[in-house]
Amino acid sequence: MIQQVIAILILIFFVFKLGREWKKKSITINEFIFWLIFWIIGIVVIAFIKPIDKLVMSLGFSSSGINLVFYVAVLILFYLIFRMRLRMVKMDKDITELSRKISLK
Amino acid sequence: MKINQVDMKTFCVIPAYNEEKNIFTTISQVLPRVDFLVIVDDCSRDQTYEQSCRILNSENISSELKNKLKILRHPINLGQGASLQTGNEYALKNEADIIIHFDADGQFLAEEIEKVINPIKQGKADIVFGSRFLDIKSEIPSFKKNIIMPLAKLFNLIFFGIKTSDPQSGFRAMTKEVTQKIKIENNRMAHCTEILAKAHKYKFRIAEVPITVVYKKFGQKFSGGFKIIKDLFFRKISG
Repeated sequence: MIQQVIAILILIFFVFKLGREWKKKSITINEFIFWLIFWIIGIVVIAFIKPIDKLVMSLGFSSSGINLVFYVAVLILFYLIFRMRLRMVKMDKDITELSRKISLK
Repeated sequence: MKINQVDMKTFCVIPAYNEEKNIFTTISQVLPRVDFLVIVDDCSRDQTYEQSCRILNSENISSELKNKLKILRHPINLGQGASLQTGNEYALKNEADIIIHFDADGQFLAEEIEKVINPIKQGKADIVFGSRFLDIKSEIPSFKKNIIMPLAKLFNLIFFGIKTSDPQSGFRAMTKEVTQKIKIENNRMAHCTEILAKAHKYKFRIAEVPITVVYKKFGQKFSGGFKIIKDLFFRKISG
């Protein structure tokens, strides 16, 4: 129970930070909505972890709900890092081409 | 129309990054030996660009030689591979027949340029790599010679099927056809392996000639080797 409260408090802190970023206009409305929904889902999952545990068991998974959340989170993170890497490579290519054009002018 | 091999227009590309101490001497030595010299300053933090431009104001150098020099400058630091590609593109735009890659740090001998381009001029090769290991003149640091280079050679052989004696040679010459085909995509140090791999892939005629390297500093470190592998890996998976 205490762990759940701490986890929810941490996520509320993230939502608060998100709100500040939005106020400073350092993120777009789409980013704000995406991360807001993301953290709210996180809070809901933690708040209702027991019913989720039961649901996970009924689906045939041997691990508890919180473990499954972690597995999925790690997979999503790997995917996001991969996407980010591809974007960085493309940006790197574009910057190189642009710099080359400037120096060859 | 086939160009007379002797009349081939030779361009030398020298990438330079923080080489203020060596660049003036390197330019003075290379300039008389080629038809055109392209210096690509990779946004050095020191006076490399200014030192290169000093040649243009020097009274000891004839205006004929000065006209053969072009100094380019990247607005941001991109890496040696990117600098070479910038130089290549400049050379191709200006109708180069042979493009030579040479280092700015004074480790290579300008008098060996002729030796490196000869197999191309004689029509025996499309791309020529200078090799530190075909001759015993170069005093290569023993860790580099006995550990780093054999590992790099093994890596090149396993992953790219490359069997050249020097896996990381920066002194090379190639025809314009090779330069058009091999676009250097690895901005940093992995370009050596990339050029070798592409030359093999496109089945160009490859030759190696012995060159002398005067080591002023250690050069590529062991950690640099891992960076090269990482760059090659990510370049491969990102297409």
